[in-house]
Amino acid sequence: MENRFKILITGVGGQGIVYLTNILVEAAMLSEIPVSVSEIHGLSQRGGVVTAGIGLGEHCTGFIGKADVDFLIGLEPLETQRCLPSLHKNSSVIFGDHHIQPYSVNAQMAEYPDVKSFAGYLAEQCREVVFIEQFPTGIDSVLHNIFLLGRASVMKAFPLTTEKLIEAIRSTVTGSYRDKTLDVFRQGVEFKLNKTPV
Amino acid sequence: MLERTIKILTAHSSPHKTCVMGNEGIARAALEAGVNGVFSYPGTPSTEISEIFNFINGFQNSHSNKLKYPELTSDPVYFEYSINEKIALEKAIAFSIGNRSAMCVMKNVGMNVASDPLMSVTYQTIGAPLVIVVCDDPGCHSSSNEQDSRYWGRMASVPVFNPATPADAFEMIKQAFELSGKIKLPVIVRTTTRVSHTRGIVSYGNIVHGNRQPNFERLPEHINIPARTAAAHARLLHKLEDKQVLSLLAANTRLVLKGSKAKLGIISSGVATSYVIEILHRYGVTEKIKLLDIGMIHPFPEKEVLRFLKDDMEQYLVLEELDPLMENEVRTLAQKSNIQKNIFGKGYSGLVSTGEFSMDLLTAVLEKFLHASFNKDKNIPLENSEKYFQNLPPRPPVLCAGCPHRATFYLLKLAIPREQSELILCGDIGCFGLGALPPLKMIDTINHMGMSISMAQGLYEAFHSAGENKKTVALVGDGTFFHSGLSSLVNAVYTRANILVVIFDNRTIGMTGHQSHPGASSLPKYHEIDIPPLLKGLGIEMVETINPFDLKESIAKLDKAMAHDGVSVIISKEPCIFVHDFREKGVRKMQIAVDPERCNSCANHEDVALSCSRCYAPKNNLSRAKAKLLAEISIPGNEQLCPANICNHGFFNSILEGDYKSAVEIVRDKMLFARTCGDICHRPCELFSNESSVVPIKKLKHLVSAVDDNYRDFSVPVKRTQNARKKNKKIAVIGAGPAGLSAAYDLAQVGYEVEIFEKENKAGGMVAHAIPGFRMDKTAFDYEAMQLEKMGVKFHFNISLGKEIWLESLTEEYDAVILAVGMNKSKTLEVIEKNIPPEKRTDALLFLKSFNREEETIKPGSSILVIGGGNSAIDAARSAKKMSVKNQVLVSCIETLDKMPAFAEEVRHAMEEGIEFLHDSVVESCSLDTSGKIQCSLHAFDEKTFLQQVSCDYIVTAIGQVAEALVIEKLSSDENLRVISKNSHTGYKNVFVAGDINAGNHMSVIGAIASGKKAAVAARQLLEEYPYAYEGEKALGRLNTNSPLRNTNQKEFTNEEGELGDPYFVRSEIERYNLFQSCQKCNHCIDNFGCPAMVKVNGKVQIDMARCNLCGLCIDVCPNNAIHWVDAEEKTGMTS
Repeated sequence: MENRFKILITGVGGQGIVYLTNILVEAAMLSEIPVSVSEIHGLSQRGGVVTAGIGLGEHCTGFIGKADVDFLIGLEPLETQRCLPSLHKNSSVIFGDHHIQPYSVNAQMAEYPDVKSFAGYLAEQCREVVFIEQFPTGIDSVLHNIFLLGRASVMKAFPLTTEKLIEAIRSTVTGSYRDKTLDVFRQGVEFKLNKTPV
Repeated sequence: MLERTIKILTAHSSPHKTCVMGNEGIARAALEAGVNGVFSYPGTPSTEISEIFNFINGFQNSHSNKLKYPELTSDPVYFEYSINEKIALEKAIAFSIGNRSAMCVMKNVGMNVASDPLMSVTYQTIGAPLVIVVCDDPGCHSSSNEQDSRYWGRMASVPVFNPATPADAFEMIKQAFELSGKIKLPVIVRTTTRVSHTRGIVSYGNIVHGNRQPNFERLPEHINIPARTAAAHARLLHKLEDKQVLSLLAANTRLVLKGSKAKLGIISSGVATSYVIEILHRYGVTEKIKLLDIGMIHPFPEKEVLRFLKDDMEQYLVLEELDPLMENEVRTLAQKSNIQKNIFGKGYSGLVSTGEFSMDLLTAVLEKFLHASFNKDKNIPLENSEKYFQNLPPRPPVLCAGCPHRATFYLLKLAIPREQSELILCGDIGCFGLGALPPLKMIDTINHMGMSISMAQGLYEAFHSAGENKKTVALVGDGTFFHSGLSSLVNAVYTRANILVVIFDNRTIGMTGHQSHPGASSLPKYHEIDIPPLLKGLGIEMVETINPFDLKESIAKLDKAMAHDGVSVIISKEPCIFVHDFREKGVRKMQIAVDPERCNSCANHEDVALSCSRCYAPKNNLSRAKAKLLAEISIPGNEQLCPANICNHGFFNSILEGDYKSAVEIVRDKMLFARTCGDICHRPCELFSNESSVVPIKKLKHLVSAVDDNYRDFSVPVKRTQNARKKNKKIAVIGAGPAGLSAAYDLAQVGYEVEIFEKENKAGGMVAHAIPGFRMDKTAFDYEAMQLEKMGVKFHFNISLGKEIWLESLTEEYDAVILAVGMNKSKTLEVIEKNIPPEKRTDALLFLKSFNREEETIKPGSSILVIGGGNSAIDAARSAKKMSVKNQVLVSCIETLDKMPAFAEEVRHAMEEGIEFLHDSVVESCSLDTSGKIQCSLHAFDEKTFLQQVSCDYIVTAIGQVAEALVIEKLSSDENLRVISKNSHTGYKNVFVAGDINAGNHMSVIGAIASGKKAAVAARQLLEEYPYAYEGEKALGRLNTNSPLRNTNQKEFTNEEGELGDPYFVRSEIERYNLFQSCQKCNHCIDNFGCPAMVKVNGKVQIDMARCNLCGLCIDVCPNNAIHWVDAEEKTGMTS
């Protein structure tokens, strides 16, 4: 890892952004990397946008500027697209095709963007892009975040190791949910894309 | 949460590093400082602090935890959610005076409510330490303003800490407790969203356990009277000069960057410091700056700042979010000390007093300040990202799926139609404020906590004091009602305001994450207060509790409450989906499904491009939805009954909404003759229905087209014609009767050039000439017919087929020919022709023509025999009677009453007018007697036995017409010269036949119209390969079957003078019916309900079961009855 690294997690209220952030913070602490987080979740339970910026390294806050994000985890494609200005040429991105239509789309006042074309554009522009078009069957949608984290952990630029993340899950997630979470995380780690990454 | 609580409560003898949110750090620090009680009203971004103490309180008071964790529960911290911030601070002050240390937590605007106790207690004294945490929200992520709470320090003369990070906040809370105890003043710790909601590394230390015993000391300071206050003020100011204040000012004014080559100095506070440190490190320019962080903002650390200003820097920059509070202190200080250096602040490089700072803003500011351009090679922005970034659909917050507030708003929409009233709806703070946004849009004002009830009574009085009694509505959440709505309600009762208050009682404070309030708490430490008896105790007579998911009953109660003069209150009581009670009521084994056949589909026509004026506006569907709930009689409109295929459902529902103009347009989507059909249509739409009840469509048609403004305005079809893509094909229509005109109307609107040839000197055919004037408004018919000219159709009058024009040549000159010449030659009876002189006999057509020209052909007091049983016979008979009441009229027809081809209604009218009928009869013989009277011998039609001898003055034969032989030259025809055709096609490739000339029976007006439309479709099939069959085929086919007249017992919508009835009366009458049919243009649930679990995919609504909370209200909402419960298993089966 370079001496400073910024991760941004984005999605819609209820997708488990804060939960994912907890695991990342714990993994950073276990790796003895200084960590700082800034969350914005105005009205998250009301289907609003939630983002969490995570700064790793000395003097690195979770505040996100333009072309500032080194690694973007998108739990919802439209929200991933909304983060475009914060990406740069050397960014890595992982996102899944789990649509949550905003009201404007339901009311036919706006169109949901073409996700595939966006994924293609990102792949041309960024360092490494993984687009999970279809989550493996059997994964509860509330664990899509963990699946993406697992797959992210084996991407080139990801600053935290798979092992530390597993350790973090063990210490963050309690009860019977822990094994299920670890299982989905491993499925993410082992997940091979059908075709070469876009 | 349990593990987190244990972690927060666990003491560490040496520092324990952890990464926590600022708010969590604050809670922990308070524990380490030995806080005994926390008082709060929830509010973002402060809520997590209170929630932690709420949880700790529950944890420490649990019996099992006391046994399991004796150390963690030995010194429990008191916690309460007070009803508002004023009470919270007052109680915290008292708690402190009772020698127990207290913390009071609130958001920025909460401090306004709490300011009253703050401003006075400072002149007095407290006991144990008291810390106030107030969380500001620059950028208003979740607040109604972005006020700067640092001012309170100056205003109340209390110390204010202003942390930059969670670690700062953690340390400063501890310092604040200590300081407060020392100087006996409340101390404020002010954070912002980016401190409260940021996580950073904090080192937990030791938690001090209770050695503080409750105690009340009788002190003169506890009594605040004017005589003591002047001295108290001086004492207060003196407290701020305490040694400990000064040492804390020094400790919290830190030189965090000490650039050795620095010529530039920055003074910053709060989160600005974090930004500056990060940016300068990132671009490796820390050496060029000295950075002074101000951790305590009041009193201002003048000594430290002065020293910094006197340092050998050339220029200074002051960085702080919101108001230039610190900047002004620095400038004052410089001015007082005569320091002549540049000091920059607000106004410098985009620094303003509004909103939050950002990385981008401060990077630009620092580049300017340093006269440098930072190296950003590692972060090159993406190319051409605008295309993918611009115009992304926004994602505003919405009420959750299953939210009872949505149910209440929907209910209000149904009960209080906004379009028709000027009713003002005053909203308040809370989740339900989202009801101001689309799709609900049921709020006109939102101010601050509890203002709704004051706003409603104030607005009421604004009108009332000027003589207008206008009921006004206040909408308030249950939490807000107790926070500050109650006192306002007392004022409303006291001042006799005429308002309706709707309390959205979702059993919790929803927006901030579901806290208890006096009206809803299951915790034994709280006593729940029931709202209705409280209100009744105030003397409010009308208090109703409703379940918003029961729409029908709730509408009735709302109506009652609206009608009440004085204060009325509706309590809409259903739990928030996050409250346990809600979860329990879910029908877990069931799911909800949408039937795609009924959602956004139209049974009327396959060609969705056909013009349809069914309005997209939500209000139209709102009345459908209301009718579904309230109407006594529900009539499915799926059956096609109108041969012209007018959308009866759209027509009816427009009237239900009071939109008569739309209703007229819906008729005109399909035909020219709205008023004519209102006069003379024989209403197959009503008579052929299989339903036990029918809606009086014809009368309604008459009603809406009788409004002259609606009827005269033909701009919609004219515009449609102008906008149609030109087909550049010419079509000739021969015959300007209703069939020909209708074909022309449809063809012109889809872009054909149409010319009409008519042998008479005006348009109308049989309608103009043969239907007597007393049955219809002839002027209106002429007006309607001639609108075709405005639509570009050319008329050629006095041109006859076979004289001036020939079919043969027309088929070559035009791309298609529509033959609609009608049947104008009356059939004759030989027995009459032979024996009766021409002046004493005529046929129905000639008779009616002369009647319509008001020629006097019959002397009053004559007796007339009409022969025939069709509509012409009845028209002739009635006309003869109309000429003079003294005329005696007898109709002889071969049919029995129930088999007569004439419309039964007309026969009934004739009978009522005194016309006699002799059924099953034929004229066997006739002759003139010596006095010039006609003597007819009538025999039974079947058995030929003698029936009756009739003596009369005139005979009118009305036994049908045939076409003129000439015009059907070369076309195959039957014995009556009817053109034999299949689907309007004749022997010619491009000649299509319409109207009587093609009918298997005598045509009604609506039949002729439909026949013309069908011929137009046939022409389109030929010329543009139009893929659809005629849309009204089914009903057109049914016209040929005779049906008995139904007794429909309809209401008259006109008053005794025949004028249009009162629209409210009409409305109340038709509101009894719900004529419904699925509609292609329905968007009702999305437009008016907007549940986030309802997703529109490919034009059909689907329920996203992952988001649905099974409230089931959408089932009632859907006006098309398309949504229903299904077995969870059944649905899985369907989708797999």
